[in-house]
Amino acid sequence: MATDNNHDAEPAGTAPDPIADRSLSGPLLIATILLFGSLLWALYDELFAERPWKRYQEQFVRTYSAFLEKLGPRQAAAEKTVRSSPAFQKIEAQLQSAEREASPRIREIEKELAGIRERLAILKNPFQDTRARIAVLTYELDHAGAGRAKDAIRAEIREVRKGPFRIEGLDSGGKRVALTFDEMEKQFGDLKSREAALNTELARITAPLRDLRRQRSEYLADNLAGLSPQQIEGLQRANRDSKIEIRQIHVEEAGLVDRCESCHLGIRQSVTLTAADMGNPVFVSHPNRTLLAIHDPTRFGCSPCHNGNGLATSSVQKAHGNYRHWLWPLFPKENVEAGCLQCHFGDRVLDYAPVLERGRDLFEGKGCIGCHRYEGFDRPTEQLNEVRKEAQSLETRQKEARLEAEQEVRKGDAAESNEEAQKHYARAESLRVTASSIDARLESLEQRAKYLMQDQKKVGPNLKDVRLKLRKEWIPVWLRDPQAFRPGTKMPKFRLAEEEVRALSAFIWQSGLDGPAPPRQAPGNAAAGKELFETRGCLACHSIGQPAVGGEFAANLSRLGEKAGYDYIVRWIHNPRERTRPYCPHEKRDLGPEDYAKHGQPFVFDLQNSRCPNDGHQLQVQNLTVMPSLRLSDQEARDVASYLLSLRTNASYADGVAWMDDPRMAERGRQLASRYGCGSCHEIRGLEDAPRIGTELTKEASKPMEQLDFGLLEHKAKDEGWYTHKGFFERKLRDPAIYDQGREKAPEERLRMPNIALTRDDVRALNTFLLGSVDSPFYGKFNSIPAQFRYIPSDRRKDIQEGWWLVKKYNCMGCHTVQIGQPSVLSGLPRYQDPDWKEQLPPTLVQEGARVNPDWLARFLANPAISQAETNRNGIRTYLKARMPTFSFSPNEIRVLVRFFQALADQPVLHLAEEMQPLNSQERLLARALFSSEGAPCLKCHLVGDANRDRFATAPNFLAARERLKPAWTARWMLEPQAISPGTAMPSGLFRQDGGRWVFAGPTPASFKEYKGDHVQLLVRYMFQLTAEEQRQLLQKLPTAPAKPAGAAAGMR
Amino acid sequence: MRETRGAIFATALVLAMAAGCGGSRDTAKAPAEETAGAPEGAVWKPAGDEGTVTGKVSFKGTAPKYRAISMDADTVCAAKHKSPVHPETVVVNGNGSLRNVFVYVKSGLEGKNFAVPDQPVELDQEGCIYKPHVLGMQARQNIKVVTSDDTTHNIHPLPKVNREWNVSQPPGADPIIRSFTRPEATIPVKCNQHPWMRAYIHVVSHPFYAVTGEDGTFKLEGLPPGDYEIEAVHEEYGASTQKVSLAAKGTASADFSFSPTQARRPSSLITLPALVLGCCGDR
Repeated sequence: MATDNNHDAEPAGTAPDPIADRSLSGPLLIATILLFGSLLWALYDELFAERPWKRYQEQFVRTYSAFLEKLGPRQAAAEKTVRSSPAFQKIEAQLQSAEREASPRIREIEKELAGIRERLAILKNPFQDTRARIAVLTYELDHAGAGRAKDAIRAEIREVRKGPFRIEGLDSGGKRVALTFDEMEKQFGDLKSREAALNTELARITAPLRDLRRQRSEYLADNLAGLSPQQIEGLQRANRDSKIEIRQIHVEEAGLVDRCESCHLGIRQSVTLTAADMGNPVFVSHPNRTLLAIHDPTRFGCSPCHNGNGLATSSVQKAHGNYRHWLWPLFPKENVEAGCLQCHFGDRVLDYAPVLERGRDLFEGKGCIGCHRYEGFDRPTEQLNEVRKEAQSLETRQKEARLEAEQEVRKGDAAESNEEAQKHYARAESLRVTASSIDARLESLEQRAKYLMQDQKKVGPNLKDVRLKLRKEWIPVWLRDPQAFRPGTKMPKFRLAEEEVRALSAFIWQSGLDGPAPPRQAPGNAAAGKELFETRGCLACHSIGQPAVGGEFAANLSRLGEKAGYDYIVRWIHNPRERTRPYCPHEKRDLGPEDYAKHGQPFVFDLQNSRCPNDGHQLQVQNLTVMPSLRLSDQEARDVASYLLSLRTNASYADGVAWMDDPRMAERGRQLASRYGCGSCHEIRGLEDAPRIGTELTKEASKPMEQLDFGLLEHKAKDEGWYTHKGFFERKLRDPAIYDQGREKAPEERLRMPNIALTRDDVRALNTFLLGSVDSPFYGKFNSIPAQFRYIPSDRRKDIQEGWWLVKKYNCMGCHTVQIGQPSVLSGLPRYQDPDWKEQLPPTLVQEGARVNPDWLARFLANPAISQAETNRNGIRTYLKARMPTFSFSPNEIRVLVRFFQALADQPVLHLAEEMQPLNSQERLLARALFSSEGAPCLKCHLVGDANRDRFATAPNFLAARERLKPAWTARWMLEPQAISPGTAMPSGLFRQDGGRWVFAGPTPASFKEYKGDHVQLLVRYMFQLTAEEQRQLLQKLPTAPAKPAGAAAGMR
Repeated sequence: MRETRGAIFATALVLAMAAGCGGSRDTAKAPAEETAGAPEGAVWKPAGDEGTVTGKVSFKGTAPKYRAISMDADTVCAAKHKSPVHPETVVVNGNGSLRNVFVYVKSGLEGKNFAVPDQPVELDQEGCIYKPHVLGMQARQNIKVVTSDDTTHNIHPLPKVNREWNVSQPPGADPIIRSFTRPEATIPVKCNQHPWMRAYIHVVSHPFYAVTGEDGTFKLEGLPPGDYEIEAVHEEYGASTQKVSLAAKGTASADFSFSPTQARRPSSLITLPALVLGCCGDR
């Protein structure tokens, strides 16, 4: 102790050594702890915190194996049930009896084969050795020089061949056998050929057994729902052996890496996993396997459809792309179909995207397209503009060429030499030819313009006719709040001050045409009109009443009587396309009788007389409405109009609207109408060429967030977490003025977008559509979707795509089933639930392309009455009360529709009817006899062209078959109509199979005893060769029905 | 925190997929059908304490008069009848009761599983009239459709719940044997070739039903004791229900009354005659 003290005391006198004296162990310890701590932290972060997927994988393996454990016995029991089913037992019994039968012979063969193989094994070595030795000697013999050497080798070969070879075990006795080489070779060869023969026989005997075993396992696979116990075992094994590792899909050519399956492990499992099964919704299977099969994830990845950051694995938030700098956050669940749009840009209708489809329906139907351009919508207008521009530039070129030609001629005239003059004249000549060749192109452009003008539609009605159609006092009422007058109308509510309402009313009223007024009409019969309205098919688009009954495609007509004038409505119902005055886009004005009179022409304008009398340009001769003509008679139009005008409430309207004639107000109104874009949806005098006032929305969801003006709500949006595209659209759609909140703005600077009546589901659908409207949908080395991802078909699928736009445009689905499983509007109406009315439903078009000849279809679409003279009827199904309307399709649209139906039914576009084998006279008599026999019901329902019989008809006339139908479809229809059109009046079971042919199931006429042909084919041939004369003959064979007055018709009370 | 948030996002993803890929339009109903298709549990057996519900369906007011059916469309049908045939829509018996009313236990038997009779019910076509006009049957019981006519019929039931079919039956053909797997209030049956032919099939889940006949009475026998709702359905006058309590081995009665002022079928449904008329008036 003391020594220590001494020792310590010694250096105390000198200055303390900072190194020796101060201990750094404290800081070192701290540093070490810190370092070690950070190492631990780094390790933890590396192994756990930044790898949350590891825990997901562990959890998955655990729950999945527990799930499979439970599934195993269940599937084993299911397999047992299948195995005990009679069909399985039958196969099993067959197999067993076949096995019993074959087994003795099989055993024999196998025994013999075993013996042969044993002997072959013994013989093989000595035989092959000797053969090789002889081969070597023979080679030496060939190359030996002198004769003696050769002789020596020959002798040796002989020696070798002689043997003898002593072989043990070749005989059953176990004795050694001595054989020469030749004997050995023969035995070997014999054994080989015997072995081959036995093998062949064995294969022959076991073939049926193999077949039955295959049948057995196929039956098991077909009838066992889910996996077999063996398959489950395989899955269990795979699950046990699975490693904890990143699972990624790498699509090299798209620069795509998606690691979604590192956590979502159940997505592609062959068992369907639900959240309940797995205890965690992360692990469910993809909900739509069909969709997944079409879009194979190994080819498409996940993020091209769902968005999100496929590379990120460090947190759920990052992986789903829900953080600030990621431009493609995961689509919210309710808008998941937005992901379809990026590649299916051109498809109007998609099989698995009903919400997206609804979004597009709304975009078109609610008139969004009026103000907002969106690629693909309203194509006729855009194409028309292009055509007009092209025509204009061509006209300029033509004019220039002519001018230049004249100059050249003048130059030629003044030329010094003949040669030079010739040069100028030649040039003038070619310029003149050029100018005249432009005529041909102009002409074709003119025709295109004509068709496009026919295709062009506006969302709202033509306001040039307001003075002829509307009650003056009603206009301001409507403008103040269209939804109050007609809930659900597509006319949105503009947030107008009273002064603005008045100015707009005055402008619209004063810009209306004064005439020529539609002719005065006598009153009609409202009761008959109601019946017509409810049965002709009007309700496929229009609705009546609140709650509305009918389609939502067009207006609810409940209060029509309060707003419209009778004479105009009669004309409208008779033909909605009939205009008051034709519009000349060239002169930009509506032409009147005076323009025609100037040229000595009558004031007649229609699709046949569509040129301007002043300058020959194509006129707009139709109202720009999709409403077709139902080909009603004048009286029927009066009846329907009388009924519709009887629909009214007792609302009263102020009479004091003299200000509507004040020209100053009209001027103010014109400014407002331009500002609010009224001309986008309506035809208004002076605003015909008004541009769309809204922003283009084709790629709206790709706009950077900073470009979306949240106004003063930006902070709120960020705080509340809706500072996203979805949040912006959603609130804007619900309340278009929302981003003006709290801002000081002059009235003319305020947001113009009107309030649209949208339900929650509507907003969701529109939002889905808008969210999918993107430019660059996912990261990677491409700025936009790689071409191979996009759905741009060039085959028949393209025809289908294009067709859907028209089917939607004209609401074909209001009356028809176009897609399998799609109900029409009419089929849902109360009236058509009645058994008698059910067969009054328009035909299903699911197989239309396979059913009808496309040439006929084109003619039918152009004129559904088929006849030029008798137009107040259906051309084919004259018994239907619902009327196939005349849509005035342009040839362009007819072509698209025909191709659509052909493509939908997988038919070639160019249809060349096969030559029908002519009937000989005996066959004709046979078919006639069958057709008219008591047992055959054909003529009881099908039209025959005899007024008395046709009273009961519910099916088309056979005479039309030749031109209209395809024979193969006709045969299929006769055999199983219920499979083609479920619920049709045509019964199934009319024919039964007899050997290889179909024969009529009922009693056949005696003459059929000798007939060995197929009855269906005979009847099809008869139908397709039926003539009016033959039909008369046919009718004569029928028992005549007594003609009675219609009042005594069936069941009349 | 991260974990829960992860779970929430994952839920969202999965649900998003589920929502987005809802499948085709017509599959929505499938699961319900599967579960309801085959009732589970043991087959009900009588315990010996069953009772009976009886009653009568009367008619008040004037019966509508029907014009005779014109069988012009098929001379074979017309030849089968010597006297005019009237529609069976409303048939009032001599004693003022209403015929062709389907009476059945509407509720009170839930959870019981009744054996399906082996014997099929039969629907005959004779003289182009369905016999019987109103027919009751149990779900999954067979219906045998026979024809006694020398003309071809087609049998076309128009169910809303069950599967629709439409099959031709020529003279002398074998009976058509089919069944309806699900209970359904009223299935109209028609023949497209003879528009006046009409029958109504009522498919119920149990054997306790009756159709009123010439005296307008009905009897539901072998019914286990309990509280029931009994419904009477008429094709023209709609349905009417009554509650009854049945004691063990007891009897209860439920009388119904229909009158022309009662709720008819919706007025928008224009029945066939007008249709036929309309079609010919046009042209």
